[in-house]
Amino acid sequence: MGEIRATKRLDITGDCCPITFVKTKLALEEMQPGEILEVLLKEGDPLVNVPRSLKSEGHRVLQVKKVRPDTYLLIVERGKLE
Amino acid sequence: MSLGYKNVNFSELKKGGFIRQQGPDLFIMRLRSIGGHLTSKDLENIALLAKKYGRGEVHLTTRQGVEIPGVRLADYQELIAAIKRLQLLPGACGPRIRCIVSCPGQDVCPNGVVNTQEMARQVDQAFFGRDVPAKFKIAIAGCPNACTKPRENDVGLQGVVYPQLVADRCSLCGLCQSLCPGGAIKIVADRVTIDRQRCCGDGACIASCPTNAWVAERRGFVLYAGGKMGRQPRLGDRLLDFVPGEEVIPVINSVLQGFITRRQGNERLADTMARLGTGIFRKLISYTSRREVAAGGRD
Repeated sequence: MGEIRATKRLDITGDCCPITFVKTKLALEEMQPGEILEVLLKEGDPLVNVPRSLKSEGHRVLQVKKVRPDTYLLIVERGKLE
Repeated sequence: MSLGYKNVNFSELKKGGFIRQQGPDLFIMRLRSIGGHLTSKDLENIALLAKKYGRGEVHLTTRQGVEIPGVRLADYQELIAAIKRLQLLPGACGPRIRCIVSCPGQDVCPNGVVNTQEMARQVDQAFFGRDVPAKFKIAIAGCPNACTKPRENDVGLQGVVYPQLVADRCSLCGLCQSLCPGGAIKIVADRVTIDRQRCCGDGACIASCPTNAWVAERRGFVLYAGGKMGRQPRLGDRLLDFVPGEEVIPVINSVLQGFITRRQGNERLADTMARLGTGIFRKLISYTSRREVAAGGRD
């Protein structure tokens, strides 16, 4: 997959569940369907819970990149569902 | 109207809905829920009963039931009639199959992989209140987190979903490998592999996969047996690795038959299994799965 241009970037590496998802959800709510959000998050609970919650709310995780040994970058396309 | 002991239906009392408490002629009315589920109407009705017949309070039991303390013996018959009218369910005590404990399951819990509430209804309907040699407890958990502690029960069911990869949907993002709790999923040379022995069946890969490449191959229950708490606690053993939902009732029935046949006195299933050994007890489970029947016993 080629380079995807993100509209917004969010760092939730300092947060714990459920604040991780709340922040992600709030960020996506301020965006238009189809726009891209980059989310930087820690492995463990955030990595387990945030992608599955995004999926169940109708957003699309396009890419998952490991950027540091314990940190991941999710590239998320804002979905149409509210 | 005053009712003495002679007017009380003791055979009904013995089934466990009505239990003596400390103090003269005072009783606890034990009600059960099925899998911890009560409607708001049930709660209103329980509140009315507690106010009218008890002390205006209830106790929540460890098996997801509701007890109304401070009921007078004289009110027993009227209370039983009211419980029936309000479609509430009496509990059980003594050597019987107790209230079926369950988590909310996949209907509510983000981690749930099976419909525990429906299974609790089926198990309750098939077994609740049945007379057995010793108290017998059944709990159902909707995922391997095991919140309802299935291994602390005589029989514990734990929901599992085993995944299958639809390879042409996979984008090799690596998310499943990163979050698989058992480390079962590995990406080797751009190929996703799964070690079935290490898969714990929690469905994290299915729930999270961005491209829906992981799908549910089969959904059912792990069956634990021989757990108990009390003075000499014992964790239940993993008796069967996979039981499909429709075969849970015959399997539990088979465990019960094995227990009833081989128990000594009024020992709990945990003691029977500790005495015999899990391997020997497992051989007593003469349950034949529907698939085995369909395959003429060759499955």
